[in-house]
Amino acid sequence: MSRQSNRTTDSKKMNAELFTLTYGALVTQLCKDYENDEEVNKQLDKMGYNIGVRLIEDFLARSSVGRCQDFRETADVIAKVAFKMYLGITPSVTNWSPAGDEFSLILESNPLVDFVELPDNHSSLVYSNLLCGVLRGALEMVQMAVAVKFSQDTLRGDNVTEIRMKFIKRMEENLPAGDE
Amino acid sequence: MHQVRLQIKGSDVARYSYSIHMQISAVLQSWSKPKNYPLFIRSVPIQNELKFHYTVHTSLDVVEEKISAVGKAMADQRELYLGLLYPTEDYKVYGYVTNSKVKFVIVVDSSNTSLRDNEIRSMFRKLHNSFTDVMCNPFYNPGDTIQSKAFDSIVSAMMVQAS
Repeated sequence: MSRQSNRTTDSKKMNAELFTLTYGALVTQLCKDYENDEEVNKQLDKMGYNIGVRLIEDFLARSSVGRCQDFRETADVIAKVAFKMYLGITPSVTNWSPAGDEFSLILESNPLVDFVELPDNHSSLVYSNLLCGVLRGALEMVQMAVAVKFSQDTLRGDNVTEIRMKFIKRMEENLPAGDE
Repeated sequence: MHQVRLQIKGSDVARYSYSIHMQISAVLQSWSKPKNYPLFIRSVPIQNELKFHYTVHTSLDVVEEKISAVGKAMADQRELYLGLLYPTEDYKVYGYVTNSKVKFVIVVDSSNTSLRDNEIRSMFRKLHNSFTDVMCNPFYNPGDTIQSKAFDSIVSAMMVQAS
């Protein structure tokens, strides 16, 4: 009874609306608890980080991609393999900085925000900030320190959702910071 | 949730006496709020709005009567679409109630004869679908008035199409 065999097959289908509603309930509860958009953004990022450090193992086991040679390869793997596997969407990789250490992921659609409309009193809430944390946590476990943030958001009126990722440094082989 | 395409024939621009007034009210949503208060009202054009409010409110009684009339019979045999509630000399009032007791009411000028029954039905279906989307918004608390821009634009588009 090895879990390995489960991982090579397709992940079990779950209703997308249940997932969206669950995430929505999570965000609104955080808003009620903290009552401060910045604080909620931070918490979402932390939660995402904790998900990311665990999710990376699942990802590596399932996708069997090798070690990426450079940041560009990393970007492609994130967009074409990881997002496809977990959210069912394939963002495009664009806007590389001249130094090659920063890029953007453009998401045409975001399953986390189906049916969501931000009310006016939450204008600085980054609703999908969990994703930033997940990316940050996952890459930290493969010794890459990155900074991730949303630069465009359909909930705020932009046409697309854009995540900006910046490579900071390659990390030494030390223990992770642990749950913050 | 299936998509419904509403096809309404264009009408004379001269027919300006049209109004479509829609009121949605919620009943039994929560213990603290009064029954049958409106969640969303829109009418076009906006004069005579008070008369519409009155018409809709009285028609709610007819709606209540229709949904309680089934009573002992199988609930699933009752259709969601209630049809023409009652014709007054000026207006026709149509009703639709969901299984969660949310009522939609459409009031149309009697002079508007180009709106057929199946068109009204599909308007209600669209309303119901949009309402479901509003409910799925995690920031919307059931019982609040509906502030959603998406819902607003669907209603406006529907009323423009029908007028």
